[in-house]
Amino acid sequence: MSKQTDIAIIGIGVTKFGELFHQSYDDLVRDAALQAIDDASIAMDDIGAAWLSTAFPEIGVFKGRSGMDLSEPLSLYNIPVTRVSNYCASGADAIRNAMNALRAGECDVALALGVEKLRDRQPQDSIVKLMVEYGHPFLQKGFTAAGTFAVYANRMMKEYGVTREDIANISVKNHLHGSLNKKAFYQKPCTLEEVMKSQMVASPLTVLDSCPTTDGAACVIMVRAEDVDHKKHKPIFIQGLGLSVSTGWDLPFFDPNHDFLSFEATQKAAQIAYKQAQITNPIEQLDLIEVHDCFSIVELLTYEDLGLCKKGEAKDLLRGKETQHGGKIPVNVSGGLLSCGHPVGATGIRMVVEVASHLRNDAGERQVKKAKRGLTHNIGGPGAIASVIILSNEN
Amino acid sequence: MSNIISYGIGLPSFRIEEDKLFPPGGKKGMMRSICFSDEDSITLAYDALSDCLKVMNGDLIKVNTQIDGILFASSTPLFQNRYHASYLADLLNLQQGILALDFINTSRSGTDALLLANELIDSGKYKNILVVASEVCFPEIGKEQSTPFGHGACALLLSNDKGIANITKAKSYSASFAEEFSYKLNALQYDPRFSRDEGFKTNLADALTRFATNPRNYQAIVLNAMYARMAGPLFTKAGFEETPFAKDTLTAKTGNTGAAHALLLLINEIEQGKKNILLADYTNGTNLFEVQINEAPEHLSLQQALAHYQLIDTYQNYLCLRKAGNFSAPEYTTRDMFSSEMMLQREKETLLYRGGFQCVKCETVYYLRSARCKHCKGDEFKTIQLQNTGTVYSFTHEHYFPSSFPPITMVIIDLDSGGRMTVQQTDTMYAEKNKIEIGARVKLVLRKMIENDLKPNYFWKAIAHDE
Repeated sequence: MSKQTDIAIIGIGVTKFGELFHQSYDDLVRDAALQAIDDASIAMDDIGAAWLSTAFPEIGVFKGRSGMDLSEPLSLYNIPVTRVSNYCASGADAIRNAMNALRAGECDVALALGVEKLRDRQPQDSIVKLMVEYGHPFLQKGFTAAGTFAVYANRMMKEYGVTREDIANISVKNHLHGSLNKKAFYQKPCTLEEVMKSQMVASPLTVLDSCPTTDGAACVIMVRAEDVDHKKHKPIFIQGLGLSVSTGWDLPFFDPNHDFLSFEATQKAAQIAYKQAQITNPIEQLDLIEVHDCFSIVELLTYEDLGLCKKGEAKDLLRGKETQHGGKIPVNVSGGLLSCGHPVGATGIRMVVEVASHLRNDAGERQVKKAKRGLTHNIGGPGAIASVIILSNEN
Repeated sequence: MSNIISYGIGLPSFRIEEDKLFPPGGKKGMMRSICFSDEDSITLAYDALSDCLKVMNGDLIKVNTQIDGILFASSTPLFQNRYHASYLADLLNLQQGILALDFINTSRSGTDALLLANELIDSGKYKNILVVASEVCFPEIGKEQSTPFGHGACALLLSNDKGIANITKAKSYSASFAEEFSYKLNALQYDPRFSRDEGFKTNLADALTRFATNPRNYQAIVLNAMYARMAGPLFTKAGFEETPFAKDTLTAKTGNTGAAHALLLLINEIEQGKKNILLADYTNGTNLFEVQINEAPEHLSLQQALAHYQLIDTYQNYLCLRKAGNFSAPEYTTRDMFSSEMMLQREKETLLYRGGFQCVKCETVYYLRSARCKHCKGDEFKTIQLQNTGTVYSFTHEHYFPSSFPPITMVIIDLDSGGRMTVQQTDTMYAEKNKIEIGARVKLVLRKMIENDLKPNYFWKAIAHDE
């Protein structure tokens, strides 16, 4: 199969992430969308179809249950607008849908926007409450999101000689990166000791091993590559996009074959994307990666699932500082979810915006030098669904 | 008349010593057995019943189809207008439509149920009847000293088949006079010097004379009564020469377990190897039984349950335990959590009976149903019974999930039968003493999901399994 670089991102926009008490869901939509429209130098009404990614409408004021919640704040009416919901892969899935609609000729300009408003409620009232009060009355009762990943950490430590310090060092690395990102929620480095000694959430993971759930929005405008106007645009091309549902909500915890050492969904999504982008040796062929570090352990085991190293060797990649800014393959130079925060529906698109800005050589202080090709990764649900997008500044 | 085929015990794992419960009067070494926050009279009865059925031959399903009656007794019922007996029959996957009756109200109801079961089997109309008495009484806070409570359950399987013991004679003698009872929810106690004579002494003496035609026959006399200590002369009067009273050693270890107490005392004597026992249970009337033991039981369930316990170390912790459902997690107070009787009914085979699905092609065992095998994509499954023991594959301590005793430990278990389940660990009042590691052996027990304790919600939880 030849490289599929027929789709280009011509406009990007992202809000600050954090406790945005002064901005509503609608404000966040406007903030991200208007930045992207401005960046793409198009008019609002050039948009032929749009996708809205929000994962948890019930935590806010029911905003984000339908595409109309994108239309209303922008007065973007009389075109198809669809809400996409696929847990943490929602944002990437909005991009996938936009891409396929452009390919199918449904529209000429597509918009994908992710937005989440979680901080209109206090933390204990948000995602934890969903796990505690809803869902099956018995199955998985007792887990919070942190716990569903902590069981991987305990197994990794037993099986691969990963230490508690290795896991915490992911957080140290990403917080260091985040200190350079003006749009991140946490812009402060932290020490290994601080991570280890912060409040325990689900053993061995502490508060600093866990990403904060925040408010935020991100937006991309996409066109077919042939419609790029090189005078106006700084296009970034989608070389590969894989999305895979590889288990379910309950199955991982009731499947005797699941080893709690890897995410099959990430492996499959990477396989699809690598094939499209003709990547055979990712660590050599990629210049930067944004990984879904919702919890520190997830980044560590994703190194292996993305094929950056062999099974059991993720810790060596980390210990050799290869994934730090300036290393062989910088991972999460934005600060990741751990620093930026995690407005669930927006995160996947925020990552694409981040990688795109490096590929445009626009990333300022944290710019990865000579970056030509980057990857974004999301994993959603209890490791059930993953997306991998390969972006390049060449087509 | 009827035979005791097997018996089972349900004792919580926690005890509190009386010096902690009501200092300074309480004695160290005198213990009360106390339910953990997710136990109640249903879970204790379930423990006793499954212990009772397990002893049969391990083939639960086959045994279950042969049970044609279940009688539940308690003076501290959990439900009103709902039969505990039929609820338990359902939990145990007994057949629908069998005889299921409750004996509620008095601490004599355990032997009342035994009496009826014996009569029904004697009549020839019933073959196998389960009798279970379960008691979970929590006195008013501060009144622990004046209430002789303790939590426990005892189950017996009565049959017309030969068993470990025969009930050769059984009779109940009513009395109009009661010493202590409640009227319109007010506790009444008549002047004891008057009421003991008119009630206990008169009734028991009369009953003994009429029942014990051969009083020198008994190797042990089990007497369950509030005034048991003053019963000696009554027995002498009724022709018992040297009264071989069985000492009530249980009260010191568990407290008085109410409706279950007489049955537990009987089991205690059977486990001591006594051959010919007179069981007398007095509360506003006397139930008398003559029990002959054919063979000593192989597995001494009661002695084992008495030997394994954790002590509650402070009155404060005992209070925490009683406030089950008042969750302590950072800033979390809500209790109103989702539960659906439709789901419980529909998914009973899986959730309650642990019926698993085995792929015919690759033999992978699943707890949850799917159209195809995740592993080999085979689409043919056979149902299999998942075992209740297994090995920990991974775990985590959840500090932010609301719990009476945080953290909640979630345990991923590879079951011995194949299949994997992920459940909460329980009996974890003292997290340090109950630490679980990858590779540890665990057992599933049926407990309340206290997250949604506004309705009966029972599911599996894990405890350490000493083999």
